[in-house]
Amino acid sequence: MATETALVDVGVLFVAVALAGVVSSRIDQSVIPFYIVAGVLLGSNVLGELPALPGSQVGIGGITVTVPTVTVGGVDPFAAVGGLALGETDFIVVGAEIGIVLLLFFLGLEFNLSRLIASRDRIGRAGAVDLLVNFGIGFAFGYVVFGGFLAAFLTAGIVYISSSAIITKSLIDLGWIANDESEPMLGTLVFEDLFIAVYLAIASALVLGGGNVREAAGGIAVAVGVILALLGVATFGTGFLQRFLDTDTNEFIVLRALGVTILVAGIALGLGVSEAVAAFFVGMAFSSTDHVHDLEQLLEPLRDAFAAVFFFWIGLVTDPGLFTLSIVGAIVAAVVVTTPTKLLTGFLGGRIYGLDDRRSLRVGFGMTTRGEFSLIIASLALSGAGGAIPEATVQTIYAFTVGYVLVMSILGTSLMQYSRRIEPVAVSLLDRARNGTGR
Amino acid sequence: MTVYESDLPGVGKKFEIELDDGGRLVIVTHNTGKREVFVKPEADADSEKLFEASDRLARKIGTILEGAYFQPVQADQVETVLSDDTHIEWYDVSETAEVAGRTLAELDIRNRTGVSIVAIQRGEELISPPTPETALEVGDTLVAIGHREDCDRFEELLGTGLDG
Repeated sequence: MATETALVDVGVLFVAVALAGVVSSRIDQSVIPFYIVAGVLLGSNVLGELPALPGSQVGIGGITVTVPTVTVGGVDPFAAVGGLALGETDFIVVGAEIGIVLLLFFLGLEFNLSRLIASRDRIGRAGAVDLLVNFGIGFAFGYVVFGGFLAAFLTAGIVYISSSAIITKSLIDLGWIANDESEPMLGTLVFEDLFIAVYLAIASALVLGGGNVREAAGGIAVAVGVILALLGVATFGTGFLQRFLDTDTNEFIVLRALGVTILVAGIALGLGVSEAVAAFFVGMAFSSTDHVHDLEQLLEPLRDAFAAVFFFWIGLVTDPGLFTLSIVGAIVAAVVVTTPTKLLTGFLGGRIYGLDDRRSLRVGFGMTTRGEFSLIIASLALSGAGGAIPEATVQTIYAFTVGYVLVMSILGTSLMQYSRRIEPVAVSLLDRARNGTGR
Repeated sequence: MTVYESDLPGVGKKFEIELDDGGRLVIVTHNTGKREVFVKPEADADSEKLFEASDRLARKIGTILEGAYFQPVQADQVETVLSDDTHIEWYDVSETAEVAGRTLAELDIRNRTGVSIVAIQRGEELISPPTPETALEVGDTLVAIGHREDCDRFEELLGTGLDG
């Protein structure tokens, strides 16, 4: 699929995501769905169809209109605009991969095992409730809708994992970060992040290893070996990494960190291990050095730029034509089923942290937000198309995930924003329900 | 005076300080160095954001709150009473002062006189708080906190006397 990249294409890409960012901040929404939509619009499936429009017939609500052939100053505007459509070029594909790697690298960098162990009791309980209910529901849903163990396993992950990026940003934007509800949210996210690192390792071995557990055993063995090696580096390599990054110039810190992270992720991918998981453990290895603060500050803009490329790529390879009635139905069903489950588990998580009804409800609102990790799982499914899972099923799961994330990211952000209006009603309902059962 | 500290994974740290009126001051220190300051009317109320500050600005605000930051004053002798008997005083290190060129650790000022040096103004630079390794130089302005008699002892040590 990959073709040569012209510089102008990269320019168009970054202008598109920059504009998407402007639009999202104007209407106070999370930026991720807008990046995806920008990718869809600029892809070969929408913009690329324009040159074929003149002379064709378009049906709008029963009225068929023949699009006239127009020329402006001797140029066909449709063809000219359509010429801007972006293909899936090498730059975008590799940029998207770097985006995944950096997202997970940051997760590892900010992942603190001792913190998890220190509050393991509350995080463990809130996280376990979250995992059992949402992963279970997701698995059942996937099994019913897409059929087959692997499809169900992927759907379970897609439904279970909340969006660390969107939730954390919303917490800061709304000022909830200073309230008590931030702790169960961020604590549960830590649990989810650790789980997803392990999950991705297993899922990628299954997807790339042919889908059946016995055939994938070799892949899983390699994956476990690579992960153990990385864990060893994370545990015993601190001194080396510390010296490795000991330099006064930001330029060298950035280059060294990028070099190690992307090289290790690339080697892992070559061995059939998820590059995301490898990046997570590299981040974890760096997290015990003194350079965490520098790395976070220096690499954050890079991460954001490449993450935008990743979300754009997700949209780019999405064919709007895939959203058939049955997939839209599946998305609606998933939203209807999995919004209440996250609300419930978030609420229970809040209660485990000893919060009152109102704040526990806020935890639930926030946790409904799904985002980048669901998409990473979907892109993993794409890489196994035709092997472990039938091509058609992969396309269905992929389209389902993109639609699902578009809805859930906007829904979760909106629930958090309008929380003040919803809370009083919901809390009084809860009280009434309790009194009703109490009598 | 309880301070609650909690980690915010992926964000930074949160400090909650109990205020005298039952409310709480909440300071969120981001990993980026940015500080956000909130106030809660009571412990279980929602936080209202007061302001945010960059790392540098936050430190400056902190030194003002600490009572250590000041603008150089033209008077020779400035005296501020903190409570009944505690004073903040500003002293210049004169050319004849024997303390010039020696570190705070060598001089052992706190044990000898009872005053604490909380800051040293040296030209444009403010050293706050000074470390035991900090050496005094001619022309420094020292900010000292201590009781009346401690300050007197310190003045003797500086060899200035009350020439103002």
